[in-house]
Amino acid sequence: MPEKPSDVIQGTLDMLILKTLALEPMHGYGISVRIEQISKGVFRLNAGSLFLAIQRLERDSLIDGDWQPTENNRRAKYYSLTQKGRTRLNEETREWSRQVAAIARILEAQ
Amino acid sequence: MSLLRKITRGVRSLFQKEQVEQDLSDEIGAFTEMATHEKMRQGLGREDALRAVRLELGTVEIAKEEVRSATWESFVENLWRDIRFALRTLRKAPGFSVVIILTLTLGIGANTAIFTLINAVMLQKLPVRNPEQLYRLGDNNNCCVMVGTQNGGSFVLYSYSLYQYLRGNTPEFEHLAAFESYIADLSVRGQHDAAAEPFAGELVTGNYFQTLGVGAAAGRLLTPDDDTTTAAPVAVMSYHVWQKRYALDPSVIGSTLAINGASYTIVGVTPSQFYGDTLRSDPPDFWLPLIDEKEKWRLNSSESEWLYLIGRLKPGSSPEAVQTRLTVELQQWLAAHRDVIPDRDQADIPLQHIRLTPAARGVEQLQTDYALGLRLLATLSGFLLLIACANIANLMLARGSANQSQTSVRLALGGTRGRLMQHSLIESVLLAVVGGLGGLYVAYVGGHALLLLAFRGSNYVPISTKPSVSVLLFALGLSLLTGVVFGIAPAWMASRSNPADALRGSGRGNAEKSSTLQKSLIVAQVALSVVLLVGAALLTSSLRHLEGQQFGFVTDGRTIVHLIGLDSVGYTEEKLPALYQKLESAIPQIPGVISASLSTYSPLEGNNWNDWPMIQGRTIDYTGSAPSWLRVGPHYFETLGTRLLQGRTFEERDKPGAPRVAVVNETFARRFFPNGNAIGQRFGMSEEKHSGDYEIVGIVEDAKYQDTRGPAYATFFFPLLQAPPGEPLRGWVSAIELHVAGRVDGIEPAVRRAITGVDPRITVLRVLSFGEQVALNFNQERLIARLTELFGALALILACLGLYGLTAYSVARRTNEIGIRMALGADRRSVLGLVLRSALAQVGLGLAIGIPASLAGGFLLASQLYQVKSYDPLILGAAALILAGAAILAASVPARRASRVDPIVALRHE
Repeated sequence: MPEKPSDVIQGTLDMLILKTLALEPMHGYGISVRIEQISKGVFRLNAGSLFLAIQRLERDSLIDGDWQPTENNRRAKYYSLTQKGRTRLNEETREWSRQVAAIARILEAQ
Repeated sequence: MSLLRKITRGVRSLFQKEQVEQDLSDEIGAFTEMATHEKMRQGLGREDALRAVRLELGTVEIAKEEVRSATWESFVENLWRDIRFALRTLRKAPGFSVVIILTLTLGIGANTAIFTLINAVMLQKLPVRNPEQLYRLGDNNNCCVMVGTQNGGSFVLYSYSLYQYLRGNTPEFEHLAAFESYIADLSVRGQHDAAAEPFAGELVTGNYFQTLGVGAAAGRLLTPDDDTTTAAPVAVMSYHVWQKRYALDPSVIGSTLAINGASYTIVGVTPSQFYGDTLRSDPPDFWLPLIDEKEKWRLNSSESEWLYLIGRLKPGSSPEAVQTRLTVELQQWLAAHRDVIPDRDQADIPLQHIRLTPAARGVEQLQTDYALGLRLLATLSGFLLLIACANIANLMLARGSANQSQTSVRLALGGTRGRLMQHSLIESVLLAVVGGLGGLYVAYVGGHALLLLAFRGSNYVPISTKPSVSVLLFALGLSLLTGVVFGIAPAWMASRSNPADALRGSGRGNAEKSSTLQKSLIVAQVALSVVLLVGAALLTSSLRHLEGQQFGFVTDGRTIVHLIGLDSVGYTEEKLPALYQKLESAIPQIPGVISASLSTYSPLEGNNWNDWPMIQGRTIDYTGSAPSWLRVGPHYFETLGTRLLQGRTFEERDKPGAPRVAVVNETFARRFFPNGNAIGQRFGMSEEKHSGDYEIVGIVEDAKYQDTRGPAYATFFFPLLQAPPGEPLRGWVSAIELHVAGRVDGIEPAVRRAITGVDPRITVLRVLSFGEQVALNFNQERLIARLTELFGALALILACLGLYGLTAYSVARRTNEIGIRMALGADRRSVLGLVLRSALAQVGLGLAIGIPASLAGGFLLASQLYQVKSYDPLILGAAALILAGAAILAASVPARRASRVDPIVALRHE
């Protein structure tokens, strides 16, 4: 039996969404599925927080939404990364790696 | 870019709400659909899949709500919704809303009106370029003409010669101007005018306008070149006169006017905002060069100190350093002019100094005169507003308690306390803003009325009560502040109510918590109202006694015509007999005139000449003040209605050359002839050799000419033209008294025509009904009495409103208790009594504090009161009765409501 999925670490949701969209443009459900898949079920997104984050990113011009028909003939909004979003993702990734490395060093300290 | 985008998105979603809503729905719908699909692919049935997804997703509505409420526009939207909701609730309780808005209108209006005046009188700078650079040489408002050392050594009045010395030796001043310390009456006549008209004028140096930093609205202003005796006389006109009298006619500039008999060319007009160097009522209409002063005696004498000085400091100069330098210069000048200081004051010379005071507001006269009064008014109206706020809070609480079950339902349904508080605050701020708008209107009208009351008798007061930006900001700020102040308590109460308690139907929960504060507030208000009511009654009754007293003359049917000094329109002593005779024969011929008379001045016009009489054959006691005297024509006493007690009054035969006669008043006769034998005695003025000049032929009743409160002064009267032998005639006519049949207002045009017919140069300063002339003496008393009345009435209304609110509140909370009492057998009357008793207890306590306080207040007022005792039991009783009556009325409304409670309903209220 797999472990219970946890919420994403505070403050990293934006970065995760940006990263997911860096791979390819995607709609909301796609983002949530992709994050769950890649994290191997560790992170599961609450739809409320997902849309909240998406709205925030869109207002900050980090991502751009575009209505397109889905394979089942529904309307869905596909989001893609803007140039600004790409820059932000790079910054956040670098910052995150720095922090993770630092935390690891602390935890491994003898 | 990002901020702009946020805003545009926000605005878009505000205005295309449906579209945005639809998008969000679609997006979440798509999400659900895809998730369901996935679950179905994993083998679940459609129904189960959908349910599983919904479980994961949470309620769609909550998800949507979360997304929606994260944006700023949703806050705006909520606010807008709350405002509309608040408007709807307020409309549903019109009585409540109207009472609150009216209270606020009065409270905010009174404060804004006072602020308008404070702003206009105390804070406004002169409408000139860089007023901060202006400094005045002197720190008080000593007036007119002085000789020698000055008030405590601080110089304010300067001779022309000293002015020139200071101007020449103080390079720190860019300009230093001098001007007359008071305004003079001018007689002005254009070439085509039928008669000369009175205006106000000020003599100034040529650099006056440069110093103040004022440009011309039309033509040019005075320049230093106008300061030479060879320059053709020129004058500058105020915009006010140009507009009012000349309808902005451009041809006035360059035209010639006869001012006090001499020809002046009008060279220009000052800007419309400009009122001269001093904020005052009836500011100068004309500015004339100092050099044109007619007799030159003041200009050429280094003894006469009669000029005020204002200078513009060069940027960067230090006022302290300049002040020190000026004092040194003053000392040097005084040392060089020892003759200027009389011998007895020589020792004071080292004390003489100059204080340099900031003059951005010009010569501060009104500011000094009204500072205390305005501060007092501001404090009073501030209190009033606080009381109003507290009262409204009470009323809101009363209403809140009635709505408590509604509030509880909202809380139970998930309304957050924050939202409830926000809603309650919005309601109060909304009320306050509406009240604030009303207050602005009240301030405009009230400020204007205050000005009229304070400056009754003035033609023009250069103070605007139009709301300026700062006044608007003040009113807005005040509204918001009051809204928050009186909204906080009810909001807090609303947020604190426990839904479970309230839904269970107990309005009894925290009944006594805040009511001590509320009750003491009512007690304080009642006490304050009593004090104000008693004060108002005392002052009003004093004013009535003052105005209705026996003055020793009759005002009904009497009118006084005031003339500008005949010397300033070119008359000399020899021409007076003919002129007086013409006036004495022309004026009584006007239809409706019963009798008319001429005199040097008239009673209670603000004029009083006094001098010691020399009584033939004895010396008199020179303690106390010297008797007053004036010259009057035949029929003077009949015209004014002053009764003759003994002997005769003046007649046509008392001409120059005829035996010199005098009439004295009762006090004069008693004071100088205690044996009662005044008739037939002789006296004169100033020198022993004149003591036989005049024979007393009549005694008239005492009349008040100067002091309205004290007894009449000893007074003697001489005929118009009987000068002492070998002396010039002192005392020329400046007043004409008329006794007319019927109303006095219609007579003015005919009188003016008659005077113009005699000589168009004679200038009528003003025509006043005698009643109005007397009333002008009581401007200050009237202002104070009316304001105390106003504040007393407002305090009374507020106290009643407060009592009403509190009683209604307690009745609403005690409905249940009252129901139980009634179920147990209490009848309506005992319930009525129960509620009224608790209201009356507060009123009684308030009276118990208020009556001693008003006794103390009356004691403080005693010196202001005229023929009114400071502890008038009638007034005290009446004030207490009015208050108690009004209070019972206010409390009886909710009390009757309580007595009509149906016990069944009240118990079911549980």
